[in-house]
Amino acid sequence: MKLIKSIIRPNKVDEVKDALAKLNIAGMTVTEVRGHGKQKGHTAIYRGKEYNVSLLPKMELEVVVQDEIVDEAIKAIIQAARTGEIGDGRVFVIPVSHTYRIRTGEQDAL
Amino acid sequence: MDTITRRDDQPTPLAVLEAARRELADETVRGRGGRMAVERYAGRVDALLQRLCAEAPAAARPVAIAALGGYGRRHLCLYSDIDVLVLFDGAIGPDDERFLRAFLHPLWDLGLVVGHQVRELADFERIEIDNPEFLLALADARPIAGERSLFDRFAVMFRRWETHAFLLESLKQLIDERHAKFEDTFYQLEPDVKDAPGALRDLTAMRTIARITHPTMLDPGAADRARLDDAEDFLFRVRSILHLEGRRNHNVLGHDLQEKAAHTLGYPGAEPQQRVERLMGDYFRHARVVSRSLDWVRRTAPTPVGANLVRSRDGIGFIDKQHAAAHPESWLAVFHVAIDRGSPVADEALAWIQQHVNSYAAEDFFPSPSASAALIGFLKPRAGLYARLSEMHDCGLLGRMFPEFQAISCRVIRDFYHKYTVDEHTLLTIRNLERLEAPSTPSRARFGSLLADLEAPELLVLSLLFHDVGKWRDDEHTPESVRMARQVLERLDAVPESREIVEFLIRTHLRMSTAAFRRDTEDPETVKQLATLVGTEERLKMLCLMTLVDVGAVSPETLTPWREELLWQLYVDTYNHLTLGYGDELIDRNQSGLADLLAGRPPELSESEITRFLEGLPRRYLQLFSRDAIYGHVRLSRDIHPDEVHVSLEQKGALWELTVVTLDKPFLFSNICGVLSSFAMDILRGHALTNPNGLVLDIFQFTDEERFFTLNPDGTEQFLHDLSEVVSGRSDISARLRARERGVLHRRGVPRFAPTIHADNQASRRYTILDIIANNRLGLLHRISRVISRHGCDVDLVLISTEGEKAIDVFHITKDGVKLTGAAQLELTADLQRMLEGSDEVD
Repeated sequence: MKLIKSIIRPNKVDEVKDALAKLNIAGMTVTEVRGHGKQKGHTAIYRGKEYNVSLLPKMELEVVVQDEIVDEAIKAIIQAARTGEIGDGRVFVIPVSHTYRIRTGEQDAL
Repeated sequence: MDTITRRDDQPTPLAVLEAARRELADETVRGRGGRMAVERYAGRVDALLQRLCAEAPAAARPVAIAALGGYGRRHLCLYSDIDVLVLFDGAIGPDDERFLRAFLHPLWDLGLVVGHQVRELADFERIEIDNPEFLLALADARPIAGERSLFDRFAVMFRRWETHAFLLESLKQLIDERHAKFEDTFYQLEPDVKDAPGALRDLTAMRTIARITHPTMLDPGAADRARLDDAEDFLFRVRSILHLEGRRNHNVLGHDLQEKAAHTLGYPGAEPQQRVERLMGDYFRHARVVSRSLDWVRRTAPTPVGANLVRSRDGIGFIDKQHAAAHPESWLAVFHVAIDRGSPVADEALAWIQQHVNSYAAEDFFPSPSASAALIGFLKPRAGLYARLSEMHDCGLLGRMFPEFQAISCRVIRDFYHKYTVDEHTLLTIRNLERLEAPSTPSRARFGSLLADLEAPELLVLSLLFHDVGKWRDDEHTPESVRMARQVLERLDAVPESREIVEFLIRTHLRMSTAAFRRDTEDPETVKQLATLVGTEERLKMLCLMTLVDVGAVSPETLTPWREELLWQLYVDTYNHLTLGYGDELIDRNQSGLADLLAGRPPELSESEITRFLEGLPRRYLQLFSRDAIYGHVRLSRDIHPDEVHVSLEQKGALWELTVVTLDKPFLFSNICGVLSSFAMDILRGHALTNPNGLVLDIFQFTDEERFFTLNPDGTEQFLHDLSEVVSGRSDISARLRARERGVLHRRGVPRFAPTIHADNQASRRYTILDIIANNRLGLLHRISRVISRHGCDVDLVLISTEGEKAIDVFHITKDGVKLTGAAQLELTADLQRMLEGSDEVD
């Protein structure tokens, strides 16, 4: 199993969700986050004054998937979230050793 | 007496007065000189004054005679002063003085002590705060002779809440001062039955306080009222004896007169001592009732705070409920005053409104333009507005005023993310807006500054109030909300500009949240679309705030800092697009909106005339100005020749608007600003535009700081003449300005903040943008633009705005038709910086 953590543009959440749903990946965690990668924010001017917008609003999607569909899921996320411009985001893939369903205590049941 | 003609069929005035006195004296010796007797005596004196007034030669203007003070209350003892007001309707002339003499001299001849006040009606336009005793006497004014309608006009002028509030405070102070003379105790063994604590003046004071604040406050507990009436009658019976025995205005029940008074009043007892003790025992019992009642009235009496309004411990309420019942348009004032005073509305007033509200239809609450204006003023966002609107909603007033709002009362939309009913969600948006007045976080303070910038924030509240009313239906709510809001605006007879803003905000209230949270805000197209939608910075600010408070009212969790940031960034990008890049988008022949403008044109304007004028102006021009304003600009541009200037000057409320059309030339903008400054006009807002043919259109909104136009009948002609002379080059404005600038600079003191200048060659394809923030002061624009012109630059477009003491001016400039080079930019900004910092202020 892998945890796929994607940092994407806020307006791309619905498209990524739809793309993952087509792979029967329904469970996910979505969080509003702020940060920067290569984009490193930018300098904005408002009424003649400059100010730094160093942490940009992004969305973080987390899904845990079986190893067999990891590549497919990553591909779907990238396709759905891409605009081709700087600031499209990042996908991280992290190994998961076990998962537990809290209600039943059942192990590895996705 | 010689001045009174004796007639055969009626007794002389002296005979009349003596008969009246004899009557009161007879009653007094029988121990019955109480309230009824003194009132009867006052009636006899009234008749005497009416006769003297009728027999006096006619005054040149209407005159009214009114009894004042104790006489006004009909509390006239044998030797009481006769206090009267002689009121004239206009300036007093010789004929009026003749009337006065003929009226007053006989009274003096009769030996009466007359306290007369002669006034013109206009004297009562302001309160005479230096004479509170006179004001108190006026509070008891009663018409006895002359023109009743004149007295009624006086009464309307005098019985204002401001006067009542002043009277109340003055009366309390006078009571304290009077009581202090008696060591603040009514247990006086030789009491003054008029002035001592617990005596007649206290009774009068108590009734005056009740009358001007809470007329029925003495009603509860019939026994109390009866005891006060008994006390008053007792005190008058004693006072009448004192006057009769003393043969003067004597009010002290001294030891020497106590036996006589006890005997006259029939107190039993074998010895005078016993009769006196019983008399004085009764006196102190009555004085205690009066004294305790006055204490209670002073403690509990509400304070007058508005027309027919008082503030009590429970909150704001009506004084005269009967009057209020007949005037539903006055009810809003209860809530308005409550906000102003930081008070709730009294439960009693709310219950009363709830009881009567269904007797009226929506139109009854706004019968006049002033009632509609009062509503608009009430909606200004400030602390307490949400709470008061909620009270209005709870008692049924809001729904009755606006059946459109009633349609969403307790309306539930089951969408799993709204946490409140539609009506409460709506009111919460207004609460969120009012909270921006005192923002809780720096992040929220940014939005607070937008609210502070708005010209008409009350229109935003009006829009919020009706933005979701269309949700009474199950389908798409926005068009229905617009339709219903239009009905409201029609009833309020709102001006077209206000209607347009409100309808725009309601129609587009979801568009900015869609763009911020569902579109890529970093995509310039998203920003461009939003900029096109709003058209002006003012609308952008309103829509941004509407979005913020609307999202915040969905649930406590909906407006996260993350969303706030997204919204703010979209706002900033759109603001910059509107102010920095707007010169790149020009009106062309296929411009949207142009067809409508042409179709609706007045007959005297041709299509080609309009299109020739518009071509090459920034597209925003079509959004900045109404159709009528644009047609006006086209007319001004007709047949313009070099050195000519076509001008329109119009007063718009507190502001003046100057529109100038001319052909471009060096220092033009600077010269126009200079003329305005030379007349001490403070430029607040404006736009300067140039089309490719060199036609210049400048619009300035300014205040006439020194009231030049008001004080000089030919002021506007003089101003326009000077403007024409300067623009045509026949007159030099700089020399004239120097002296005035020096004076102003000398007075002005240290700037509140450091000026900032930001030069940008990226924001616009065609122009170098100068964004200048500086302390607003006389001549600022003239000096900035003079420096720009001295550098050989052309001022093509200017956006002028002012926020408090801050001037925010955006110049779009070129040099020799192109953007400035880096070096030219540096030289120009350095010069501007020096000028703004004060080291190079005057040539």
